[in-house]
Amino acid sequence: MSRVAVPFESSPAAQSADSRPLIDPATLMSIKNLELRARVVVEGFWHGMHRSPYHGFSVEFTEYRQYSPGDDPRYLDWKLYARSDRYYIKKFEDETNLRCHLMLDQSRSMSYGSLSYTKAQYANTLAATLAYFLSMQGDAVGLLTFDERIRDYLPARHRPGHLRNLMIRLEQPAAGNATDLSAPLHRIVQTVKKRSLLVLISDLLGPIGALEKDLTALAACGHEVILFHLLDPAELTLSFEKAVMFRDVETGRQIFIDPVTARKGYVQKLEAHNQNIQAACSRLGIGYRRLTTDQPLEFALFDFLRERMQRGKRIRRRAR
Amino acid sequence: MSFLAPLFLIGTLAVALPVIFHLVRRSSKEQIPFSSLMFLQPAPPRVTKRSRLEHLLLLLLRCLVVCLLALGFSRPFFQRPMTASPLSEETGRKVVVLVDTSASMKREGLWSEALGQAEAALKQTGPGDQVAVLTFDRRVRTLVSFEQWNQMDIGQRATLTLARISDLKPNWSSTQLGSALIAAAEAFADADKEGRSIGRRQIILISDMQEGSRLDGLQGYEWPRGIEVQVEAVQPKRPTNAGVQWLAANDDSANAGTNLVTRIRVSNSANATREQFKLHWADAPSAAPLDVYVPPGQSRIVPAPTLPPDTVGEQLVLTGDDDDFDNTVYVLQPKAEHINIIFAGDEPENDSAQPFFYLKRAFQPTARQIVEVEARTSAAELPPADLADARLLVVADHLSDSRMDAVQKFMTGGGTVLFVMKNTAAADDIGRLAGTNGFAADEVTPPNYALFGMIDFNHPLFAPFADARFNDFTKIHFWKYRRVDAAKLPGARVLAKFDSGDPAVLEIPRGNGRLLVLTSGWEPADSQLAVSSKFVPLLYSTLDLSGGIHTTLAQFHIDDEVNLAGLMPGVTTSAISVKKPDGTMVQLAAGETRFSDTDRPGIYSVTTLQPPIRFAVNLDGAESRTAMLPGDELQRLGVPMKAREVALSTQVEQKRRLHDAELEDRQKLWRWLTLTALVVLLGETFVAGWLTRRTAVQTGAQS
Repeated sequence: MSRVAVPFESSPAAQSADSRPLIDPATLMSIKNLELRARVVVEGFWHGMHRSPYHGFSVEFTEYRQYSPGDDPRYLDWKLYARSDRYYIKKFEDETNLRCHLMLDQSRSMSYGSLSYTKAQYANTLAATLAYFLSMQGDAVGLLTFDERIRDYLPARHRPGHLRNLMIRLEQPAAGNATDLSAPLHRIVQTVKKRSLLVLISDLLGPIGALEKDLTALAACGHEVILFHLLDPAELTLSFEKAVMFRDVETGRQIFIDPVTARKGYVQKLEAHNQNIQAACSRLGIGYRRLTTDQPLEFALFDFLRERMQRGKRIRRRAR
Repeated sequence: MSFLAPLFLIGTLAVALPVIFHLVRRSSKEQIPFSSLMFLQPAPPRVTKRSRLEHLLLLLLRCLVVCLLALGFSRPFFQRPMTASPLSEETGRKVVVLVDTSASMKREGLWSEALGQAEAALKQTGPGDQVAVLTFDRRVRTLVSFEQWNQMDIGQRATLTLARISDLKPNWSSTQLGSALIAAAEAFADADKEGRSIGRRQIILISDMQEGSRLDGLQGYEWPRGIEVQVEAVQPKRPTNAGVQWLAANDDSANAGTNLVTRIRVSNSANATREQFKLHWADAPSAAPLDVYVPPGQSRIVPAPTLPPDTVGEQLVLTGDDDDFDNTVYVLQPKAEHINIIFAGDEPENDSAQPFFYLKRAFQPTARQIVEVEARTSAAELPPADLADARLLVVADHLSDSRMDAVQKFMTGGGTVLFVMKNTAAADDIGRLAGTNGFAADEVTPPNYALFGMIDFNHPLFAPFADARFNDFTKIHFWKYRRVDAAKLPGARVLAKFDSGDPAVLEIPRGNGRLLVLTSGWEPADSQLAVSSKFVPLLYSTLDLSGGIHTTLAQFHIDDEVNLAGLMPGVTTSAISVKKPDGTMVQLAAGETRFSDTDRPGIYSVTTLQPPIRFAVNLDGAESRTAMLPGDELQRLGVPMKAREVALSTQVEQKRRLHDAELEDRQKLWRWLTLTALVVLLGETFVAGWLTRRTAVQTGAQS
């Protein structure tokens, strides 16, 4: 189990009202350094966490187990041996340190942005923030970037310099043409044997059939999955006025669109697409969170922790 | 408004470009990238909106720039009437059309082409022009003079002149191009003397410009200023032309009695394509033809085909070339003439101490003449029939009374008597022959010898020796002579004197004849004359003086003047009629012996004499040289050449264009248009900048 305590159960909106003001994403994105950006978000969040009344616990004892040859003698409970003259091994929760794999979509559709920054920049910052946060807690963080194929893979580790390395990988520009989840999925399945946390950050702009299939496969491999569905505000509402040629950044296809007439149909189709994804996630037990790039990153962090906590409760209940 | 280069107005079509660019830019500018088009459906373009042009002011300015530039490049100007009519300068132009009518123009197609050229030249003349038409071959003839041209009706001038040219035909004459050009140039001078306006002067030469044209007249001629020659050369369709000439044997070297070899020169034109020809006698078909090989531009001399015995051939024909105007040559074999000389004296024929011995041997028979010297001793009479046949009478001895009468008659009848004084006794006879009595002579024996001191080389007797190469008589020494007083002889003329001043040769005219007196003998006892190189020529000169040797030339060229007197033995006073080759008779006036109507090749005969005298007239050999003259030959001789005349309408057009160009150059509207275009361009730049800034501001405000 994670050592992360759930700071509060209130919604992000409620939290933003009574806490110190959240950082405006546009201002945050104006910071060039990705690590600095992540640190700004996490440290702001950290302060808020210390103010919380629910924090404070450490390595948690779970059970004793009779020693059998081959076990590490470091974990022998010598006091109990003195009392009972029997060898017992102490088992702790923190034996199973969290392994988190950040799966970041770097397809070209991610390079779109109607604001002063793109979805890819936002996603990078989000991934960096999570990595920094987890790393500060001593968890191992890995990175896998992909588009229609795997671009980069960094195994989950917790050691000095690893976070820095991860940040550098994150700063690579998006280049791929399409989004394909199956290839990174296979790689994860092959390389990550231990059960771990998979955080998928993508705009999920692809045929719903293929997406659902990929998500199903991801959930089926036994990992804990959290999905951040990133969307630009303009993508949600098609907030254009002029009838112009629209060019698909991934395929280069051009079509003439009059947004005024096309908006209604577009919003409906997009909403249906999002609903389908959300439905699939809830069906598969995947934590789903939709983010628009104009939302503060702290929301994402809150959602992440909440998701982790709920899941921890579920698991604890199951364990009892 | 007119345009100097109206084709540039097509450039105004470039106005379409700004319009297209305005449409194109609009659609290309409005393109935005989007993350995914999977939820969008293509909408049909809203046509009305798309086709609407934006920035109309900018478009208008750009179109204006294009139009102004196109207009400027087309060099516009405001038309003004020409100050002078384009034709006015042409008034007074003088043209001499010079048409070649020589024999070489008889070649196939040349004459019709020449007529076409003449017609073209006449059609180019304007109403103010003056035209004269001259034709030329060996002579120059005026067909239409400037005066005649001016007298014609203006509308009919060209037509009438052309009709007269069409009546012409090329004749058989040679080409004297040089003298023709001079005559044409002088025709201008004659017309100018009449006080007419002096305009541009031009000679249009219509000729085949053959190589055989004679230009020697131009050698020393200073070509008048301002007269240009425009050559309209006519070309034959087929170039090969071979000519044939008879090389008449005019020398006397051949032996008497043998037939002269008739030599024929066959020449081929320089631009010929064939070199194999045949030569045959037209009037002796039984004679075998002769093959002749002549490379182009060369000539070969061949003997005429051999005639069978007892066959006479007078017409020799060449075959194998393209044009046959110069392929026939007429040949007359000369006959040896018998000339009688009578020697009156009692001298044995073989006595080398006597004059007769030398006289007999001086005249050797030749192919042209056989001179017979007959001695008449004092025992025999001198019958009138003998003397009538004789050309010369040489007296060396005393004449009896009867002989004296006969000699007197012979002399007054036109005969020549050469009296050789062998002794002083002969003086009496000389006196009697000269018609005076008591004429005496002294025997002179100079201390060493006497020489000819003075010779009258102007006299026909000594004229052949006039040249410095032959006039040295100092080698002839006279040992003795007879001194006579020439003043006592009536009409006597001293032709030569001894160095002592005494007469050596005397001429005394008597009636139609003359008496020549040699005061010394030529036998060795008297002098070295008989053994000197001057003796035989002097005797021939004497014979010539007595009319004994006739012109042996039996070949003439077309348009040559034939001196019939030279052909005839003796003198005739009756009217002479000549039969031409075509059978027509030409009657000459009484006493006239010059015949100049040799206008066609063939054999002419003087029919009034028996047997008739015949002579051949042939084409000039130069006419056969039909290759073209070098192009710059006339210029080399100082004749200014002119390029082909352009049509009158073209000239008017050229003048009008020049006038337009001057007007345009003066007005220079294109500068203003270009300046305006620049100003508009500046305005366009400003407006475009303003629009761009405004759009940027609006975009910023929206974002």
